Parts: sequence; structure tokens; C-alpha cells
Amino acid sequence: MKRTVPLLTAFLSGLALVVSFFFNPDRIFLGDIQEVVLQWMTIIGGFALVLGVHSIIKVNMAKVIRKDSEWFYKLATVVSVIVMALPAMLPNSWSPLFGNGQGSIYNWLFEYVDSPMMETMFAMLAFYIASAAYRAFRARNTEATLLLITATLVMLWRVPMGEAFLRLFSDKLPDYINMFVMNGFNVSVQRGIIIGAALGGAAMSLRIILGIERTYMGKN
Amino acid sequence: MPGIWDKIATIDRRWIYFLMALSILFPTIFVFKFPVEITVEARQLYDAIDALPDSSIIMLTFDYYPSARAETEPMSKAALRHMFSKDMQIVTLSNIPLGGPTMAENTTREIAMEFNKVYGVDYVNLGYKANYVAVMQGMASSIESIFPTDWTGTPLSELPLMLKVKNYRDISFIYVVADNATVDYWISIVNAQYGIPVGAGVTAVSAPKMYAFVESGQMTGLLGGMKGAAEYERLINHEDMAMRGMDAQSMAHFTIIFLVIIGNIGMFVMSAPKSRIGTKRD
Repeated sequence: MKRTVPLLTAFLSGLALVVSFFFNPDRIFLGDIQEVVLQWMTIIGGFALVLGVHSIIKVNMAKVIRKDSEWFYKLATVVSVIVMALPAMLPNSWSPLFGNGQGSIYNWLFEYVDSPMMETMFAMLAFYIASAAYRAFRARNTEATLLLITATLVMLWRVPMGEAFLRLFSDKLPDYINMFVMNGFNVSVQRGIIIGAALGGAAMSLRIILGIERTYMGKN
Repeated sequence: MPGIWDKIATIDRRWIYFLMALSILFPTIFVFKFPVEITVEARQLYDAIDALPDSSIIMLTFDYYPSARAETEPMSKAALRHMFSKDMQIVTLSNIPLGGPTMAENTTREIAMEFNKVYGVDYVNLGYKANYVAVMQGMASSIESIFPTDWTGTPLSELPLMLKVKNYRDISFIYVVADNATVDYWISIVNAQYGIPVGAGVTAVSAPKMYAFVESGQMTGLLGGMKGAAEYERLINHEDMAMRGMDAQSMAHFTIIFLVIIGNIGMFVMSAPKSRIGTKRD
């Protein structure tokens, strides 16, 4: 029962969407089943988020109570979750500080705390990339040399100063990079990857619908 | 005594960080303003929107995390300025739970104020709903079935714009600004299955993949990274954050290229037999 119900749910949901895609739902017995299944998917997705919040609080609070190493950071995580989420969930009609609109606590925390922190973390990548490029980007063999030359050309082409530098050699050089590197080699390789991934995705979906692939249900 | 190349090879990484910081800060004091050339893909996106009749309804998605804001927000702002200048009506949404709807709200409101546009009449923010594949597919039959209310909880039936927008058939163009794989689904689900034209602005790191979709005609135009945003700003004749960021990005790219060249020269010099480079042997 524990395995049969999820298997049957996956099979019927998948089948309903596949049949609705290939046939006009109004002319077959399925009616608006596709719409209903999709609504359920968003509802279940919403519950998954709630489960995520529950999980992050439970795991971190346990470590805070046990006073594990670096428990202070776990406490900061839990406090952050509550401080961000609670005012956003309270109705805006009680106070303009509640809800998620402009002028709310949530909006202020997002704009002046959360967003700058995330942007800072991402911006630091520039420094790591510079250091990694210096140490690792070496012309050790033919393939690495080709990659190095291509990367250098694309890096020059992607910025105005580099484009001006390339035009010193030929006015057409930036256009050739776009035509032959980005729309040539790049597109052919990307297509192969996209088609491969799509076939893999279709095969995996079929395995789940038919109950061959069961890892999504966990070990037991 | 270690040679100069030994010293350079073992340089403390903090010097590299310092050089990088200098190269980004330098253009904030000395402005170069090299001309931003327009790529074919950016021109295609601009032309597609410009060719739409005034008052068309556009869906603009904010599918990016705050971390990628420096690259993606200028794209959203430039697109909003272009659309509002043509009196287009805009439906925004986000498939990113972490800040997506808030960025959609704040950015759209900021640009809407420049053009005296009214919420509910000229633009609406639908917010976020979990499971983006289901959201994209569900909106094909009914937007209201997926988003019964807007981001602030107002029922869609109370918003004049949403009385005209029931599903994709009422949307003229979908403009996706993203830093992740949601673009693939906008193309494979919405463009491929329902035929709605999709254009996108993506981070520089995800742009190479998108060229395949532009080439196949599944995507109508593409902006890649901050340079793409700068191109769009130039096309709408409104220089903003992306244009200002171009000098810093140029210097950062040149610094990385300089470091790669130095690193490679060092590798060749150090790997060459010592007699060939004239070093004395004991």
C-alpha cells in the first residue's frame, strides 16, 4: 500500500497529462483533468516549501538546543527565517509594516539586508575567477590551448573595450567571433547537449510514469 | 635566490584580489566610455517588441535571484522603459521564490512611476507560485486558475488589466529575464506548445546555451549579461546601470586576460631547460 498508492498516483497523473497533450481534452472523457492536475502540482509545490521551512527550523533548533559547534550560526538561521517570514504572513490590513508590499518589514529586509548580502557573495566570484584563471588556465596541450584562445577572444568580444581592441586588427573580427564562435561551434555543441538532455529527461519521465524508476519514493 | 618567474608563480593570491579590486574601482574614477556595439540578437529582441502594436499586452518574468541582480535588473528596467514608452500593458510574475516577486514589484513600480502608469490598469504583479512547469502549463488554459490573486492578495477579477488577460492567447510577447533554467521551459512549453513568441535576457554564463534557441527561431532575440543590458539601454536611448558598468567589466576582463598571459609565460619559462634561457649552472 505504501508503495502502490504513490506508484498509481504517478502513473495516473502522468498518463492524464500525456493524453491531454496529444488529444483535445474536450472531446475525450478527461475533460479539464489537465487543469486540475496542474493546480494540484502547484498546491503540492507550496506544501513542499512549508515542509522545507519546517525542516530547516527543526534541524537547526536541535543543534542549538544541544549547543553543537557553531550553534550560534544555526540560531541566526532560525531567527532570520522567522523575522523574514512572520511579518510577511501577517495581513497588511493590520499594519502597513506587515504583508509583502512596499513599506513592509519584509520588503525592507529584502532590499537592504538579504539582496545586498547575496549580491556581495556573487560579486566575490570575480576575485576567485581571477585567481583561478591565473593558476589553472594554462596552455598545457592542444585542447587546452584552443580553449584558452577561444575564451580570450570571447572575453574580449563581450566588453566594449575588448571590442575596440579587436577592431584594431579588423573591423569584421567581432562579427566573425559572433558568427563562427557563438553561432557556430557553440551552437552545434549546445544543440547536442540540449537534445541529449531532452532525450534523457523523456526517458526518465517514462520510467517514473511506468513505475520502473522508484528512487523518488525513498529507500523504504 | 628564486628568479622573478618563481616569485610570480608563487604570488600571494591577495595581490591578485587587490589587482582585481583596483581594475574594478579604477573606471569609477576615470570613465572611458567605449562605444557599445549592438549584437544581432539584441537588435532582434528590440525590433520584436518595437514592432508590436502600442497597448499590446506583454508578460515580463523576473526569473532571477538577487545574487544576479547586477546583470539582470538593468535588462528588466530597460525592457520596462521600452514597453511603457509604447503604452504597453505588462503582466509580471516570477518563478523564483527567493525575492523574485519582490524584485518584480519594486522594479516595475519604480519604472511605472517614471511613466505615470497605474497598478491594475497598466501593469499587474502576479507574484510567485511553486512548481514552475505546472505554472507555465496551467496558464495556457487559465491564468486565474494558477494565480487567483495578485502578489498582494487582490483577486484578479478586481484588476481591470486581468479582465482582458485570461490565458496566453491574450499575451503578445513573453520577455523572460532569468539566471537559470526556467528559460528552457518557457521555450519548450510555452513557445513550442502554444506558439507565443519568447525573448530573453539572461546572465552571461547562461547565454551560450540560448544561442541554439535563437538560431532555431524558438527564441526571438537574446540579451547576454550586462553587455546585453547595455545594448538594450543604447537601443532605447536611456543610459543607465549597465552602460555605467561596462567600463568596470571591460577592465575586469582585461585584468583576467593579463593574468592568464602572465601565468602562461611563467609556465613556459619555468618548464624550459635552464641552459636555453641562459641561467648559469653550478
